[in-house]
This record gives sequence, structure tokens and C-alpha cells, in this order.
Amino acid sequence: MRALVAAGALLGALLWQTAVSRISPGYAWLLDPFLLVVVYFGLTGGELQGTLVGAAAGWIQDIQFGGPIVGFGGLTKLLVGFAVGLASERFVLVGSAPRLIAVFGATLLDALLLERLAALFQVPIAELSFAGLVARANANAIAGVLLFEGVERRRRILARRR
Amino acid sequence: MIAAGSARRTRLLVVALVLGHLVAITRQVDAGAGQTLFDRIVFSVLSPPQRAVGGAMQGAGGLWSGYLDLRGARAEKERLEDELEAARRELQQLRARARETDKLRELLGLKRILPYESVTAEVVAREGVPWFRTITVDKGSASGVRLNAAVLSSSGVVGRVVSLGPLAARVQLLLDRDCGVGVMIESTGVAGVVSGQVGVADSGTSDLVMNYVPGYAEVAVGDVVVTSGLDRIFPKGLMVGRVRAVAPDAGLFRDIRVTPSARFDRLERVLIVTDEKHEPELTESVR
Repeated sequence: MRALVAAGALLGALLWQTAVSRISPGYAWLLDPFLLVVVYFGLTGGELQGTLVGAAAGWIQDIQFGGPIVGFGGLTKLLVGFAVGLASERFVLVGSAPRLIAVFGATLLDALLLERLAALFQVPIAELSFAGLVARANANAIAGVLLFEGVERRRRILARRR
Repeated sequence: MIAAGSARRTRLLVVALVLGHLVAITRQVDAGAGQTLFDRIVFSVLSPPQRAVGGAMQGAGGLWSGYLDLRGARAEKERLEDELEAARRELQQLRARARETDKLRELLGLKRILPYESVTAEVVAREGVPWFRTITVDKGSASGVRLNAAVLSSSGVVGRVVSLGPLAARVQLLLDRDCGVGVMIESTGVAGVVSGQVGVADSGTSDLVMNYVPGYAEVAVGDVVVTSGLDRIFPKGLMVGRVRAVAPDAGLFRDIRVTPSARFDRLERVLIVTDEKHEPELTESVR
């Protein structure tokens, strides 16, 4: 069941990113819906789910939106998912503020890992400026908290109905 | 005890996945860009929903502009309202149609004079991540598109196909730092390689860099840069852009910035060359 939910969430992320890239091509880089899915599953499902969803999300993003070398996104999102899952098992990451920090940190980690990995394999990529990176982290953090809150609220309503 | 065992298994899985990724990346870097069976399957499965969303966004854009038109027309004087609204709408439709026709005519014109087989494709998705510059188009191997095929717009070279499905293809834009095109200065024949975007991903600059031009070569601002055909991907003689700046003190190689002629921010339709060979040389009129 959880795997189906993850697959649905990743499909949603793909459609969301496609739509945003059509509506405002210049600003599509600001938000990373795949990262939000990874962070959510890392926070709520722990290391294993974070890792597996991270690897799947990264590969989809690589194949649909990445450069000619596939796997950079897969590896970075896998590690981000693992790190978020690990943090969620060590600390209490419940509520808006901790989650805001978690998404913000995950965005920074994602960018840092991808850029270092590309440098390690000597694959030239465009780098984000510090201001751009902070803007991306902020946008992801705000969107993530709103999204997580919405999902949690919906889950609570469904649980109450049962 | 059970929890500790589960955590250990997860760590082992993470290590295995990391190693697997590193091997996969290393194989691709060593072998050059290509496409694995897995890439092809995932791309083929996931590109139809992208195509659907791309089409839906276009439709929604049309609906939204129609709604705005109606709101504007309602503010007009009562007597002229119906007539004016109809006239405006008709004018807008005609203008939109004219713009569309112009774009298609430009592409068709290029398609006619281009001495290669080509297909017209529509852009369904654009860059989604800041590190790479790619677009997805709605034509794939079923339409004769192949890997590394040259992609053009009516104003110049756009990029090359890096990923392929039966109904869609992903195109690496000239703006991508990993994209290299063999070029030459049209007037002097000075050769070089034009590659990716200068600066950071979010700066908005669309300059290209022309590398490997010797310090003694004569290059002036405004010189036309065309493809040289030496990379065996892009046919010879296609417009790439114009020299925007040449560094005065250049050393061994000149530092040359090129403004691309293709309007990457307004790409809606592109031409994909489907010919395997690029033997014929283009005439002046193609540019």
C-alpha cells in the first residue's frame, strides 16, 4: 500500500514539475517536488523508505529532466532520503518548524551532493549561486510544510471517518 | 535486537545502492553519453503523462486568455459591447493565428531548404532542475528520431537528442554546460567548440563560450558563428549565434562569448534532423 502511495506521489511530482516548467520555464528550478516526496517519506517512513523513494525519485528526475549522465540525481536523492530518515529516527521531527528545517537542510544537501558528485566525475553542470540556493531551499521548505500539513490533515480526516 | 538487525540491513542496502549508482555513473562517464535499456523503458513509460500535461497546459492557457478577454470586453460601453467584443476576439484570434502561422512558416521554410530529412516536434516540458538544460519534445523513435540527432529552430541550433522513447525525446540544449558543438567563424573559417552556459544556473544569462580558438586568430564582435560539421552531430553551416565579446588579453586561447541565435525562452516547436548522414553542405540561404 505504502509503495503504491509512493508511486502515486512520484507520478504527481512528475506531472507537477512538467506543468510548472510549461507555465514558468524560468522559475521551474525554484521548486523540487521530487525532493518534497523524498523528505516526506524519509520523515514518516524512516531510513529504508527514505532511501528507496529517494533512489526512485532521483532516477525519474534524471531520466525525465536531467543531463546525459543518469544516476547523479538517483544517488543524491538516495542519500538525502537516507539522511532525512536517519534524522527522523534520532530526533522528533514533527510539527511545522522541524519539518521546515528538514526540507531546507535536505535542499542544501541535495545541491551540495549533486554539485560535488558532478565535479568528482568531471561532468560540467551549471552551479547554483548562494542566493539561488537559499531561494530554492526557502521555496521548497515553505511548499513542503504546506504540502505535508495538507497530507496529514487529509489522513486525520480519513482516520476519523473510519 | 530486531530493530538493530533491521537498521543494519538498511545500512547494507544503502551501501549497496550507493555502490551500484557509482558503478552505473562510472560506466556512463567512461562510455560517453548513451542510453541504457532501463533509461529507455522509464522514459518511454513516463513521457506519455508528460505529453498529456504539456497539452493540457496549452489548452488551459487558451481557456485562461479567453476568460481574460471576456472580462475586458464586459467593461466596454453597453451599446458597443457585443460588437466590440466579437471584433476584439476575432482580431485576437486572427493575430494568434497569424503568429502561429508565422512560426510554422519559418519552420516550414527551414524544413524546405534544409537538405536533410527532418520532423517538426512540439516542446512538452522544459528544464525542471537547475543543473541541466534540457527540454522534452513530443516526437520520438516512432517518428524516425534517433539519439544525438541535431535539433534546430527557425533561428538557429537548439541542441541534440540525449534520450529517446517511441513518442518523446529529451533534448540537451546548447545552454547546457555539458553540450559541445563544433563551430567556426563564418567569415574567416576559424574553428572552435561552443559549449554551455556561462555563469551560474539561476543568473538568467544565456551566453555561450567559444573554446579552443588560438590567441592569434582574428575574431571580432558581431562575427557570425556557424556549425562546422566536425562533431558529426550537427550539419555544417547552421547558425549558432554571433560573437558578443572577445577578451583583449587572451593568452594561448581566446576568451570568446557568443550570443545564441535561437530563442531558448520562447521555444515551442523545433525541427529534428532525422538523416543519418550530414554530407551536403548548406547554402547561404539556410542561415
